[in-house]
Amino acid sequence: MLLDVRSVAKSFGGVAAVSDATFDVAEGSITSLIGPNGAGKTTVFNLVSGFIRADRGEISFAGRRIERLSGDRIARAGLVRIFQTPRVLTRMTVLENMMLAAKDQPGERLWSAWMTPRRVARKEAEGRDKAEQRLALIRLSHLTHEYAGALSGGQRKLLELGRALMVEPRMILLDEPMAGVAPVLREQLLDHIRELRAEQGVTVCIIEHDMDVVMSISDRIIVMDDGTVIADGPPDAIQDNPRVIEAYLGRSGGLDGGARA
Amino acid sequence: MDLFNPGFWTFVAVIAGIYGIMALGLYVQFSLAGLPNFGHVAFMAVAAYAMAILVVRYEVPLALAALGGLAAAVVLAVVMGVPALRLRADYLAIATIAGSEIIRYLVMSLPELTGGAIGSMGLLGPGEIALYNQDWQAFRDAIAGLVTPLLGAAPSHDEVTMALVWALLIGLIALFWRLERSPWGRVLKGIREDDTAVAAVGKNVVHFKMQALIIGAILGGLAGLLLAWQIGVFSPDDYQPTLTFYAYLILILGGVNRIWAIPVGAVLFSLLYTGTRFLNFFPLSLFDPGERAFLRLFLVGLLLVLFMALRPEGAFGDRRQLMLEK
Repeated sequence: MLLDVRSVAKSFGGVAAVSDATFDVAEGSITSLIGPNGAGKTTVFNLVSGFIRADRGEISFAGRRIERLSGDRIARAGLVRIFQTPRVLTRMTVLENMMLAAKDQPGERLWSAWMTPRRVARKEAEGRDKAEQRLALIRLSHLTHEYAGALSGGQRKLLELGRALMVEPRMILLDEPMAGVAPVLREQLLDHIRELRAEQGVTVCIIEHDMDVVMSISDRIIVMDDGTVIADGPPDAIQDNPRVIEAYLGRSGGLDGGARA
Repeated sequence: MDLFNPGFWTFVAVIAGIYGIMALGLYVQFSLAGLPNFGHVAFMAVAAYAMAILVVRYEVPLALAALGGLAAAVVLAVVMGVPALRLRADYLAIATIAGSEIIRYLVMSLPELTGGAIGSMGLLGPGEIALYNQDWQAFRDAIAGLVTPLLGAAPSHDEVTMALVWALLIGLIALFWRLERSPWGRVLKGIREDDTAVAAVGKNVVHFKMQALIIGAILGGLAGLLLAWQIGVFSPDDYQPTLTFYAYLILILGGVNRIWAIPVGAVLFSLLYTGTRFLNFFPLSLFDPGERAFLRLFLVGLLLVLFMALRPEGAFGDRRQLMLEK
């Protein structure tokens, strides 16, 4: 298992956001994390990606314990997340947003930036090529030199996905990547996510509310409610699971209702 | 004061250059890395005091004492940065305000160490006047001697200092202009925009912030040393908290996030600040000179407010950047 989460818990000021999360994600899979609002999905992402520290429990990535590592070290280890509300660097261009995320740029060290300009320039050219390819993939090429702050919400979402790919992740955590993205682009985005897995072997874990999307893209679905994992299995089994149906019916009108909405 | 006295304007140019170096330090911290430093003057004061104490008490050669002064500024940056940089930016603002006030109170309440309210003259205790500036004057005279044959006339002390300070300012701006455009500068700008996003793509944000804080402290310390050398003797009053806000004004006047506009901002600020000295004509001459001094500060404030209202992006800033949505 690439990602292994064991008995992880986190509370904020006495309120348990996650009381006992245990699940794993297989390498090369697309796994969805679903559940009603407040189930603790985003908190799980924050815990796994190191942006919040767990109160207890163990998290391993690629055989290495990561629950005490900071977010930037987890990202360097190959586990990269994107945020629910996109975090683009507004007063920088789209290209700068992308190139910033390129990994192993020696010019980020002061000494190399000053003393080895040629090596830095070579690496910059590589990063630029890669950034332009990715921008073409997410259809933002025409905005390359625009300030990221001038982008729409959906475009920012795409830019954040592109930026995460610049890190060359082994696994990527997507928090509602479809929210705010136009339906036409949604289909393309889904295809890109499938391609990512097929061509580059990237493992994908995704939080999503749109049940059509979840059912069509996932190899496996993990269902959370009230801070715990209540079901875990392939899409067909999840659809008929009585606990899952109850969790959804009790709050927001059922799984199939969500799919048709 | 004579409006057409070149000696006066040379002095103004020296101070403008020193303020430019001070503002460059703040540029690295605030404009590049987004670190709100409201105690920049503390780096200046600590460097000046450490230098003067080393020279006067321990007879350290000036160049070494200057390095000691910069090292003291770095230590202060680390002491403030280690606890505050892990937290949100607001905490650094608080830490720097508190840090600079602590330095000021320490200076005032430890006269055996710092000379207290008398300042650098009192460093050897009462009864003896302490001077730290002989080596600097000798250095300036040596340079004046070197260039006299080239110029045909001996330059004044202030002219030598003006040339040194402005050469230093331009050289440092060229250096940081280049670094700003390097991948290092890009990471700092990213941190300014959203440090969480930069951490999420694998950059060690705390490490980069600490670098920016330390570099800003070194540049601030350098400005503090130059100011001490220029004025010859200094007291706590020469390192007032308002200096920090002069540095912000210089960045804003020149243009937000425009490194090469810093000298423009420094000159504009100095002109605003010293130029109002000459407002002694009717109707302002109706006030007596003491009242006019207050009026002068009032006019500086008014001009700055007008500048901000009519040209918020500064002389050379990019207006589009201001209008982007966060």
